[in-house]
Amino acid sequence: MASKVHVQDNSVVERRLRPIYEWLDSGNNKKALQECDKVLKKTPNSLCAKALKALSLLRMGRDCECVSLLEALGEDNPVDDATLQAMTLCYRELQQQDQICTLYENAVKSDPNNEEFHTQLFMSYVRIGDFKLQQQSALNLYKLKPKNPYYCWAVMSVVQQATREKELSKRGVLLSLAERMIDKLIVENKLDAEQEVQLYLMILELQNKYEEALRVFNGSLGEKLVCNTLVSYKLPYLIKLGRWSEVNLVCKGILIESVDRWDIWKEYVKSVFELMKETQSNNHVESHSNGDNDIEYVDDIPEKAHEFMCRLVENSADNGYLLRGPYLARFELCSKLLEVGIDSSELLGDTIELFIEYFRKFGHKPCCVTDLRIHLHLLSVEKRIVLANRLIKDVGISSTSVPQSEQQMQRHLCSLQLSRLCGNHRNLSSDHLGALVTAFSLHYQHGFQTYGLNLLQTDQGPSDPYAILAAHILYDLAQLTQSSKPVITALVLLENLLKNSQCSFNAKLLCVRLFHTIGAGIGAQQMYESLDVKHLQMDSLGYTHCARLPTTGLITLTTGLLDSTLKFFSSNYKDSSDHLTFCYKYGSFIKLDDFMDFREKLNNSFHYTMVAVDRIILNIVQCSSIDNLYNTNILPKDNNIEWDKLRDNHDLSVYVSWDPERINGPPEESQEIKELFIQNVQFLKLRTHILWALSASVNVVKSQESTRNTCIDTLKGVIKDWSDIYYKISSSKTAPIKQNLVTMPLPSRLHSHLNCRYFEILAQLFNLLVNIATEDVKSYNSIVLDVQNNFRDLTRDVVNVVDQLKQSNDFYWNRRHVLEIVVNTVEIISLSATICLLCNDLAKPQKKSKKKIDSTIKNVLSNLANSIKKELNVVDTCLENWNLPDQFDLSDRLALLNLSTNGQNSVIENINNSHVIAVKELRTLLKGKVKMLCG
Amino acid sequence: MTTLRPFTCNDMYKFNNVNLDPLTETYGLSFYMQYLAHWPEYFQVAESPGGEIMGYIMGKAEGHGENWHGHVTALTVSPEYRRLGLAATLMNFLEDVSEKKRAYFVDLFVRVSNKVAINMYTNLGYIVYRTVLEYYSGDPDEDAYDMRKACSRDVKQKSVIPLNHPVRPEDVE
Repeated sequence: MASKVHVQDNSVVERRLRPIYEWLDSGNNKKALQECDKVLKKTPNSLCAKALKALSLLRMGRDCECVSLLEALGEDNPVDDATLQAMTLCYRELQQQDQICTLYENAVKSDPNNEEFHTQLFMSYVRIGDFKLQQQSALNLYKLKPKNPYYCWAVMSVVQQATREKELSKRGVLLSLAERMIDKLIVENKLDAEQEVQLYLMILELQNKYEEALRVFNGSLGEKLVCNTLVSYKLPYLIKLGRWSEVNLVCKGILIESVDRWDIWKEYVKSVFELMKETQSNNHVESHSNGDNDIEYVDDIPEKAHEFMCRLVENSADNGYLLRGPYLARFELCSKLLEVGIDSSELLGDTIELFIEYFRKFGHKPCCVTDLRIHLHLLSVEKRIVLANRLIKDVGISSTSVPQSEQQMQRHLCSLQLSRLCGNHRNLSSDHLGALVTAFSLHYQHGFQTYGLNLLQTDQGPSDPYAILAAHILYDLAQLTQSSKPVITALVLLENLLKNSQCSFNAKLLCVRLFHTIGAGIGAQQMYESLDVKHLQMDSLGYTHCARLPTTGLITLTTGLLDSTLKFFSSNYKDSSDHLTFCYKYGSFIKLDDFMDFREKLNNSFHYTMVAVDRIILNIVQCSSIDNLYNTNILPKDNNIEWDKLRDNHDLSVYVSWDPERINGPPEESQEIKELFIQNVQFLKLRTHILWALSASVNVVKSQESTRNTCIDTLKGVIKDWSDIYYKISSSKTAPIKQNLVTMPLPSRLHSHLNCRYFEILAQLFNLLVNIATEDVKSYNSIVLDVQNNFRDLTRDVVNVVDQLKQSNDFYWNRRHVLEIVVNTVEIISLSATICLLCNDLAKPQKKSKKKIDSTIKNVLSNLANSIKKELNVVDTCLENWNLPDQFDLSDRLALLNLSTNGQNSVIENINNSHVIAVKELRTLLKGKVKMLCG
Repeated sequence: MTTLRPFTCNDMYKFNNVNLDPLTETYGLSFYMQYLAHWPEYFQVAESPGGEIMGYIMGKAEGHGENWHGHVTALTVSPEYRRLGLAATLMNFLEDVSEKKRAYFVDLFVRVSNKVAINMYTNLGYIVYRTVLEYYSGDPDEDAYDMRKACSRDVKQKSVIPLNHPVRPEDVE
């Protein structure tokens, strides 16, 4: 009877709660809160209603109330699912994952036989990555319900302890424990699911027990592995064990079936050379008996390998697609021969002929270029030039003819791209480069009109690569002549392309880069928007635009983009721990390590951290009063930046490039990019010190008498650290990344930062604050004098660079650089004004005391405020008079390219628009600072 | 020339040259993570000799009884690597996995306007099983073809008898 009443009760409560869930789901948190209060009036003890109330409060941004409600709830020790789930959501959104563990620890204590609670407890440990507790709770769960998955959870938790363990001996102990745990299942004949066998293999692999792993395939366990072929499971182990004859035969077997498997070709060729080495060192010829069938004998010398390749070419001639496999395998063979110092020409002929032959077979496919790119290192620099000229000749398009078919056009494009890769566009005169641009631009138009008129909206134009190539050469030309005209011409050319084929992302990416090259943020923004960059792309592609926008003075645009980027990162941070639980839920243990690495990579993204810092600084720069500052969260990422783990997640390879540098490998691995990353991290560190110092200063101002000294010491410590790294970085004088390649990023913001006296001015102001706090009257004037001098030098420099730009005959070429200095200066002025106000607040006597503000301090501070205002006016006047010309004439150049001047007008308008808005926004900001300093 | 290998999380950092193409959707992270965790064998990437991503396929297995089938969620090939038979290679892989999982058929949805894709699937042996009205939201909404190919387990080819009436998205589980 009693239980029946209970059930009824439950259903009544459930019915009452339902609307709350609905409001929460639809995002109407206010309504949800009202509904909670209504339910709580009727049933004041409903824990679930309280938990939902906490959730509603949290989603309304009332974190403190939420937390205190949660604390109270915790004492009630809730044990019903709905309440626990609502509380879990709260803790998850509050980023207090450990509280979820406590919650379910208590639930399990109250109801030790509840499988669901045990499961949730296990998952909560997965979220915080406590592998030991995972193991324990999984075993408890298995004791309660002896199901295989639970047992395997425990095993995998042991594996995780091992893989994240640095000490080798401990690692070994843990792995052998995991192996024994699985052995137990095998002995009991319980190992069943495919994932469980995969787990077993993984444990063997981690211990390098490849023989044992191979044995798994021979037994009944091997049959459980259905998702992949056994040979592809086995091959990696055979390679690890160096069983090259078997590797050779397995590879041949696979290649005969599928001739296009690059990974297998590589292993095959490797095995041939390993076998050759074995035979040589054994000093006897092993009788690899020659059977009739390919898979009956091993190929242990390059000659046999070559025969095998040729045979495959003959056999696979007619299956629809001409397969590239065996042809490319010959390059691999050639490369290996050269590696071991054997002349390849005897077997394969002149290497250059391999390229020519491949081009003749596959030149009509766009992938021909990337296929050959990785092998160009086989040719000397001189040979590459020979190759380039032969390819162009082979296509047979002269300066007076056009392609006669789409295929010929593609071959022409391939030859041009390869020729650029071979260095054929290097060291040309500007006239020569200009002639190439004209030719390619005309080819683009001819190709579009002949082969591109019936394109779908989603198609890329067949002749687009001509225009992209022309834009690359225009950038070369801009670098050679140090002038903006070619950049603007390239933009006109690309915008014209985008009118014809609006989805060419290569053109858009290039436009983003070119607009930023001349500091035109709005054009870049429009292009970036049309790329529809979202989700993870914000991290991988954010460098193209988001990282540059803060230097353009377009404050409103910057704010919006920084916010949406941060939203992605922070919501993902919350989700990423859930992803780990998926792996356990579905038993895909093989993915866990990958998921863990990915989580780390994303959370330690340099871009994420930079955006977080930029956003806070922008917030402070925009503060209109001191109270604004006090309400701002000053510390980025909860002050939890792991500097040593910061990662460069940028995808630079997305920019299509035919620069010879690409032969050496992807740009991400180049030395230049590694140096750029170091510079960027240095910049980020310097910038973060501003925030640390500011936060410490606010603490000083807010501190009571009893804690003030500690706060002052902290601030002093921050300034000291800042000074140490500043002098270290500025004395190392690293050079900005070279700008010769359009596909490489723009220079680090570090260089402009160092030139702009951030440290000299701001650190001194923080010192002033320290001295006011310690009432060290003597040093006030010298500090202020120092700040005034630095400020004067800074604004003098700004006025100079702007004047120089105005007086030069090129208003755009140096614009990015100058604009960055101006934006930095405005930032320094704004931050200085804020620190000045903080000093004022600090000097102000406590409300209760009747003391008046010390007149010395008052004078010092008003003197300081006045000089900031004075310098601010200098910058403001300079901005007021910084206009771009309305007219910019490219018509000669455009006429050569057969482009209309309308395109020019729209690009120029776009750039000028960026300028006008940036100047306006910066001046508005400065006006606000005047008000703030007077207020 | 292809290396077919399981998709890894890090590939999401490298797939821009494929995903910036307008016909390929970039989803939220959780979507990819669900697939990677639940059906890792169905998520494969084709890599070029130089390490670029040429394309990828993402799919799953679901359904009860005779409705147990493989499903193609996304198939995409970068513009640079089209017309090399790559999509067929990826589809073959997914069909093989479905065979091994004893599925009755493989299905997929495609925009009725996407002639190129429909043609390709037809060449691979798929038939239009039914039309799903306004399956793709947009302006205006677009219908989808639900295309199917029977696996060897469906001996009588019952799964590929076309429906003669269209269905609404809510009728498709």
